[in-house]
Amino acid sequence: MIQLEDLHKSFEEKEVLKGISTVFETGKTNLIIGQSGSGKTVLLKCVVGLLEPDSGDILYDDRRFAEMGKKERTNLRSELGMLFQGSALFDSMTIEENVLFPLRMFSELSDSEKVKRARYCLDRVGLKDVYSLFPSEISGGMQKRAAIARAISLNPKYLFCDEPNSGLDPLTSIKIDELIMDITDEYKMTTIINTHDMNSVVTMGEKIIFIYQGSKEWEGSKEDLFQAKNTKLNEFVFASKFFQKTTENTFKG
Amino acid sequence: MNLLQHVGRYSILMYQTFAVPQKWKLFLRQTFKEVEKLGANSLPITLIISLFIGAVMTMQIQMDIENPMLPRYTTGLVTRDTLLLEFCSTILCLILAGKVGSNIASEIGTMRISEQIDAMDIMGVNSANYIILPKIAGFVLFIPFLVVWSMFSGLIGGFFVSLATDLITPSTYIYGIQYWFVEWYVYYSIIKSIFFAFVIASVSSYYGYYAYGGALDVGKASTNAVVNSSIIILMLNVILTKLLLS
Repeated sequence: MIQLEDLHKSFEEKEVLKGISTVFETGKTNLIIGQSGSGKTVLLKCVVGLLEPDSGDILYDDRRFAEMGKKERTNLRSELGMLFQGSALFDSMTIEENVLFPLRMFSELSDSEKVKRARYCLDRVGLKDVYSLFPSEISGGMQKRAAIARAISLNPKYLFCDEPNSGLDPLTSIKIDELIMDITDEYKMTTIINTHDMNSVVTMGEKIIFIYQGSKEWEGSKEDLFQAKNTKLNEFVFASKFFQKTTENTFKG
Repeated sequence: MNLLQHVGRYSILMYQTFAVPQKWKLFLRQTFKEVEKLGANSLPITLIISLFIGAVMTMQIQMDIENPMLPRYTTGLVTRDTLLLEFCSTILCLILAGKVGSNIASEIGTMRISEQIDAMDIMGVNSANYIILPKIAGFVLFIPFLVVWSMFSGLIGGFFVSLATDLITPSTYIYGIQYWFVEWYVYYSIIKSIFFAFVIASVSSYYGYYAYGGALDVGKASTNAVVNSSIIILMLNVILTKLLLS
């Protein structure tokens, strides 16, 4: 479980996060949704520790980030896995070496066990025959899978995904969503996904937080989403008329 | 950003870079890769440049020396000392600032904008230490070989002139490059180049590491790396010459 307490973050004069408090639950896919520029990425970067919040605190299973020493923070980082928007695979390494990288840096396993673990993770995400290929030699969907394999190689407690569907076709998008959900359930992780893809919201949104201009505007589940009486949320969710009609028909049905 | 801010941020980056490697095995592996990529791969360009500069220098000196009071071997002597004192350290490093510096800045800059550095930071890896230290170590370790390689290539370039033209005889040229040889000049050149190699690798890494935006910004970072490394090398050259040759 990750708990945010009154998180504030500004860049010079611009206040990007205006006191966000919420709880991301364990074993669930927690979604952060909102328009571009609403502060989703900054929020995610604060939670993973890439940005230091100006005030407020983050609790990882009741451990306060602000009170942690350097060593504790480093240890905490080995419990985090992250899937970046552009996959962020190391392009000078093969796919297998990418997955091996965190194991080589932090694991005490023997070399053969590390390779075994890396191959298990790659097999788990459905990448069996690409061990020796470089990231530039595989498709965008496969890169996302490889990035997920790298993120889970150290059995993380927390998984963060920044727009996992960006740049993917709808079919691959659905497969990536399903994979994230399966892995979250299998590893009992706290998964936080930053997205504005409504298909993902409908598929994965066990807990949804809607951010509007740096403030938490609404939170609930995907079931609550379509009954919500929040104008700003409705404007965002039903921006597509096709999506609005489809959901109306579904509810009528 | 003003100069002081750059100096401050560069110092912080170097502090992070010169930490004890998290995994020595990985650090050594990376360092050997960098020795090959930044050092050994620069051998051909060093050979070509030094060979031709040595040849041209010999021709020009020989053609300019018209005073009958000056001995014929002066050409070899002046070629040797010019190569040893300035060309094989300062000029070579200015050339390498273009080749190696832009390579480092663009590689690290691309890693930054494609979030590869963020990925390392999130894992708890000291990204500056993992990426930059092997580059500095690899290039600084290999630069003496490049300098000595450049010295030989330059002198051989001059020797080819003595063989191919009637400006100077080979025996006079060889006598000249051996005459009044000061061994310290070789060490002086190597010492200077070690400082310059550190400047090239660290300054270029700095510009790459703090690149942000897109491809255009990586290009800018690369240009800044080359320009600023070159300026620092030229200024440092004055200080090192004063310290080492006074």
